[in-house]
Amino acid sequence: MAESEEEVDVLVQRVVKDIANAFKRNPNIDEIGVIPCPEARYNRSPIVLVENKLGVESWCVKFLLPYVHNKLLLYRQRKHWLDREALVDITCTLLLLNPDFTTAWNVRKELLQCGVLHPEKDLYLGQLALTKFPKSPETWIHRRWVLQQILDQFLAVGHNKNQEQQGEAEQANAERSQQLSDHLARTLHQEMRVCSDAACRYPSNYNAWSHRIWVLQHMAKGNGKVFHDELSSMRLWVSMHVSDHSGFHYRQFLLQELITEHYQTPASATINGSSQHWSSTVPSSSPHQHSCTQTNGELSGAEAASEDDGQLSFTTVLQLFQQEIELCSDLIQSFPGHETLWSHRRHVFYLWNQWKREQQHQCSSRGDNKSIHLNDSDPGMSEVSPQSYAGREESVNGQRHASEPMEVDRVSLPNPHDSKRLKRGVLLPGTLTLTSEHSFVNSILDSCCNPEQRRFAVAYKKWLDTVIGLQS
Amino acid sequence: MGTQVKDVIIKPDAPSALLLDKHADYIAAYGSKKDDYEYTLSEYLRMSGIYWGLTVMDLMSQLPRMNRQEIIDFIKACQHDCGGISASIGHDPHLLYTLSAVQILCLYDSVDAIDVDRVVEYVKGLQQEDGSFAGDKWGEIDTRFSFCAVATLALLGKMDMINVDKAVEFVLSCMNFDGGFGCRPGSESHAGQIYCCTGFLSLTGQLHQVNADLLGWWLCERQLPSGGLNGRPEKLPDVCYSWWVLASLKIIGRIHWIDKAKLQTFILACQDEETGGFADRPGDMVDPFHTLFGVAGLSLLGDEQIKPVNPVLCMPEDVLQRIGLQPDLLS
Ligand SMILES: [Zn+2]
Repeated sequence: MAESEEEVDVLVQRVVKDIANAFKRNPNIDEIGVIPCPEARYNRSPIVLVENKLGVESWCVKFLLPYVHNKLLLYRQRKHWLDREALVDITCTLLLLNPDFTTAWNVRKELLQCGVLHPEKDLYLGQLALTKFPKSPETWIHRRWVLQQILDQFLAVGHNKNQEQQGEAEQANAERSQQLSDHLARTLHQEMRVCSDAACRYPSNYNAWSHRIWVLQHMAKGNGKVFHDELSSMRLWVSMHVSDHSGFHYRQFLLQELITEHYQTPASATINGSSQHWSSTVPSSSPHQHSCTQTNGELSGAEAASEDDGQLSFTTVLQLFQQEIELCSDLIQSFPGHETLWSHRRHVFYLWNQWKREQQHQCSSRGDNKSIHLNDSDPGMSEVSPQSYAGREESVNGQRHASEPMEVDRVSLPNPHDSKRLKRGVLLPGTLTLTSEHSFVNSILDSCCNPEQRRFAVAYKKWLDTVIGLQS
Repeated sequence: MGTQVKDVIIKPDAPSALLLDKHADYIAAYGSKKDDYEYTLSEYLRMSGIYWGLTVMDLMSQLPRMNRQEIIDFIKACQHDCGGISASIGHDPHLLYTLSAVQILCLYDSVDAIDVDRVVEYVKGLQQEDGSFAGDKWGEIDTRFSFCAVATLALLGKMDMINVDKAVEFVLSCMNFDGGFGCRPGSESHAGQIYCCTGFLSLTGQLHQVNADLLGWWLCERQLPSGGLNGRPEKLPDVCYSWWVLASLKIIGRIHWIDKAKLQTFILACQDEETGGFADRPGDMVDPFHTLFGVAGLSLLGDEQIKPVNPVLCMPEDVLQRIGLQPDLLS
């Protein structure tokens, strides 16, 4: 098409305006796309809004992109002036067409810093770009930057609050802090949705999943309930995406965080009585129950993690592992030949083995610490030795006082039967051991003739023998 | 539910001989035929694009066909006051393109064309307290940027300008149970990140920190029945991932663990006999990125028509010899 420069100029400016107006007309646009359409149709804008979908007719993209691209670069070289509104519109068009154009995101960062743009607006633009380009690294990078701004704002208010304040100022700050905290929770929730959406649009989407991990690490640090809820809600998702290695890795990350950051080690559990509650009220898991939203009996997030700090008990951790390996066995049997599932099994078993060894180590070293501690404080407490646990169930069923150090200390210890079994290498019935893993592999090899499944099973066996075998 | 392995089938009539002349013509002509639209789409990574094109030309001993002066002038115009270099004129500076620019200048033996001290200051300024590196002033952290930082400094002989111990500490914190590495602590192992991290540990003399057998195992499991390598479980094989996995294996001394002949067959099948160049997979569209990694992969596999390539920096060995840089490899 041999259009003159001025014609292109007029056309493009109209299209950029049309896009900006479409967003003003419908603030709920939730997807973008290019509509295949080789020729322009007279008197019709190439910008089409159908319900909440914004489409650009393909014929105009070829004019549109180079034009807005060059305009922005001229601005960046101070060869061409653009006012703030024009910058907002141009970068929006540009990034919806080419979201990896780093410099355009940077221009928006500057606009955001001087208050022309709201963080939410940019998160929204990125979300739209991801509907068409779910991997776009620069879009995810920009999101992290915007989220960091929101977090910094939150931290700044928190810092203010710590300073001595009186009366109205104090109250106003408390309100502001509450607002921000709610806002942060909503942002976190929304971010999880954006990640899920991108993960569904592109399988094993590394950028989406590593972003999700970043978000938890930065926005949910120390919040065991969030980690637990994530683990529960991901269960169904991974069951429906058995080839998605990134989705399974996310589960591995959650599991690891839960057992390292949120497991209340008996040694450190001297003030918190709540972990006891979970160890005594969460019943042992029943096999073959894998619903992701169970609230009765199984470990839903709210139940397994205590309300205040989300700490997990010893038994809860055992159940987490047991449920994970059961899920893995079910999926391996139902969907033979998936490397992802076998890789997941390796990770879960590895984590389990590592955790078990740490507990054994702590068990043995705790015995010594305990006797020293007991001798120092109260000779009566020497009853609280792992051997005197027979009456534990009775005592925890009665009313307890969290302020009573002995009681609290005592109930937070793992079940002595568990630790004895742990030392012998046989834990709860059906729990994970090298032997149980070998019999799982053998049962697969005995019953399955899918060559891929057999190949992965043999590789897993070899992995158990070498990597795990060398460790234990 | 299909249980078909995710892989490609190499057709019997797929190319099986290396078409070096075609590839050189393809790269030499690349850019001259592109329209505005295609050019703008990829301008944000232009500097890396030039590095890919020039390096593959040098590996094929065809570098003189490229316009040296024009390229050096372009790089000069891309250096900013902060010392960092951008992908193209008018774009913002970034570590990724700073490394590409320095690599290109090394190929041309003319690093003095830019202000080297400022480049070093730029890289140094991006190191964080925990030892990690931001990609640019906006602060994104990624082990890729750790690699870019040390590779740039190693090429300039200025490694001592940063806190190497801290940098190593951060990269090691991204190591996973499978021996691999991800972009940040807790992230999934990924062949591209593994390449960056093993390359980083090579340049910093810390390869003994890698569990070479464990990582080698994971890397070998990337080989599919077609011979091609993927970057993570259940992904399709790809020429660029074949390079990253193969180079990582070379760095940790385990290259003999994969089936080299099958991999060679896969890479050769990714050539386009008509246009020249390599695609990610047989039959797909070719591009300079996959052309470099196809040729470099064949070089690592021992093809003698191609110059030997260095697995850490993906540059011809003779260039690194001239600079006096010899990154460690495990045996
Ligand atoms: Zn590729």
